[in-house]
Amino acid sequence: MKITEKEIRHLAELTGLSLTVDEQRGMAVDLEKIVEYIGELGELDTAGVDPTYQVTGLENVWREDTVGQHLSREELLELAPAVRGNSVEVHQVL
Amino acid sequence: MTYQPTIGIECHVQLATRTKLFSATDNDARDAEPNAKVSEIDFALPGMLPYLNHEAVRLAVRAAQALNAEVARVSRFDRKHYFYPDLPKGYQISQMYQPIILAGHVDLPNGTTVRVEHAHLEEDAGKLTHHDGYSLVDLNRAGTPLIEIVSEPDIHSAADARAYAEELHKIMTYAGVTNGDLYHGNMRFDVNVSVSDTDALGTRTEVKNLNSFRSVEAAVEYEIGRQIEVLESGEKITQETRGWLDDENKTVSQRSKENAQDYRYMPDPDIPPIVLDEADVKEMQADFPRMPKEYRARFSELHVDDSVINALLANQKIAEKLYKVIEESSTDIAKRIANWFATVITENDETDLPSTANLIALSQLTGQEKLSSTAAKEIFIDIMKNDEDPMIIAQRKNLLQVSDSARIQKIVEEVLASPAGAKAAADITSGNDKAIGFLVGLVMKESRGKANPAIARKTIIEKINQK
Repeated sequence: MKITEKEIRHLAELTGLSLTVDEQRGMAVDLEKIVEYIGELGELDTAGVDPTYQVTGLENVWREDTVGQHLSREELLELAPAVRGNSVEVHQVL
Repeated sequence: MTYQPTIGIECHVQLATRTKLFSATDNDARDAEPNAKVSEIDFALPGMLPYLNHEAVRLAVRAAQALNAEVARVSRFDRKHYFYPDLPKGYQISQMYQPIILAGHVDLPNGTTVRVEHAHLEEDAGKLTHHDGYSLVDLNRAGTPLIEIVSEPDIHSAADARAYAEELHKIMTYAGVTNGDLYHGNMRFDVNVSVSDTDALGTRTEVKNLNSFRSVEAAVEYEIGRQIEVLESGEKITQETRGWLDDENKTVSQRSKENAQDYRYMPDPDIPPIVLDEADVKEMQADFPRMPKEYRARFSELHVDDSVINALLANQKIAEKLYKVIEESSTDIAKRIANWFATVITENDETDLPSTANLIALSQLTGQEKLSSTAAKEIFIDIMKNDEDPMIIAQRKNLLQVSDSARIQKIVEEVLASPAGAKAAADITSGNDKAIGFLVGLVMKESRGKANPAIARKTIIEKINQK
């Protein structure tokens, strides 16, 4: 399956990555190889096999609706690259 | 050319849980400072494991019943990827392929049925505020549990779009699924609008994030008009997302719509599936309250104005109280109580209501003309504040009407004997019937307002005719 540089640019935009022209070219080659490799799985006959969503076999893992212990705002904001007041600061997005 | 509008609505309903959908963080972000309600899961620190809130599942299962919908035996969570700082994981956990609520329907008061395609559980995103050169991220709402209810395109007018939004609000609050606080964004509506002059549907636009019934109606109204204008001028509708400017009462183009594949949906491997059998669903739906439709059917027996019924339905506790009154008394008695309630109702009245027995007793006293309508209303307001036997209040406040004919006869005789009364009686004999009202007034005054006016009137006429 051919991956074009246009598709790479579209994916980069969706994922918020900025790629140089060289990186786009390299990424197109790499991604094409990866997709081809995974594509080999398509040769298997999976008729009658349920899709695997999970490998743990667990179901209904849930908790009671009560407030629990967790890190504080201060501890969490300390981990952010930039903070202003009580908010995380990011590049202007609009 | 005539155009048929077609409207589908997606509604996000915030679930009335104490904690978030996947973290044990306080979910009440009303008026909280930025990031006061966040944890390491909401902040998406590496290695954090989302942990499903059972109450959110229970409320979704109850929402299914309110929507006349089946609950999926197996439902799963998926990741919806998008790159935006309002969710630091880089994806929203939602249910793309196997939602928990299957097809259902909502019946509007005007008889229209709107089918529900499905409804799914998902987490809300945080809030961004944009400033000069930077944006600020507040993750208080990130992870708040929502159900998104997706209607079929069964709505064909702005008025019905509003009616659907209002009815959803009622059934979701009655069912206890949400607190229904529109001011704090507990319900938000996205409307999809298209118009067409053929049988085929036209190109649609979506107006997102409407947070009031009025804006739902106004945005649909505006889009119908705008689209017809575009088509009439020979141009084409662009499929896009539009924003609603409440102050200017119009929609504006925001961005062209992403394709579903742009979200790169994939099953979320962190959260095991929800598997519910019939017994689980039954248990979660136990003690389900009456829905507005059932109240409407019952209250229609009273033959009161629609405005009275709407006022009663604005408060679930009052609607239920009146339902009980009808069951335990008669429509005549209940009708009086319905009208009293309709004049005092506020939507979020938390006060305890009077007992059914005292309400019925008050209405009976009024029906038997032992209380005037004014006195009855006064006692009604008293028992709304402090539940007490209305007869005891009437005696204490000396409000019982005198219907005892011997006593009224005596008062009438005294009035007729007075100079003013005698003159009025003479006027009546010479054909001026209006003077009867004057005499009734004198009797009422003499009895300090307690004489039954109908009996007083009858007695006055009898006495004058005897002369």
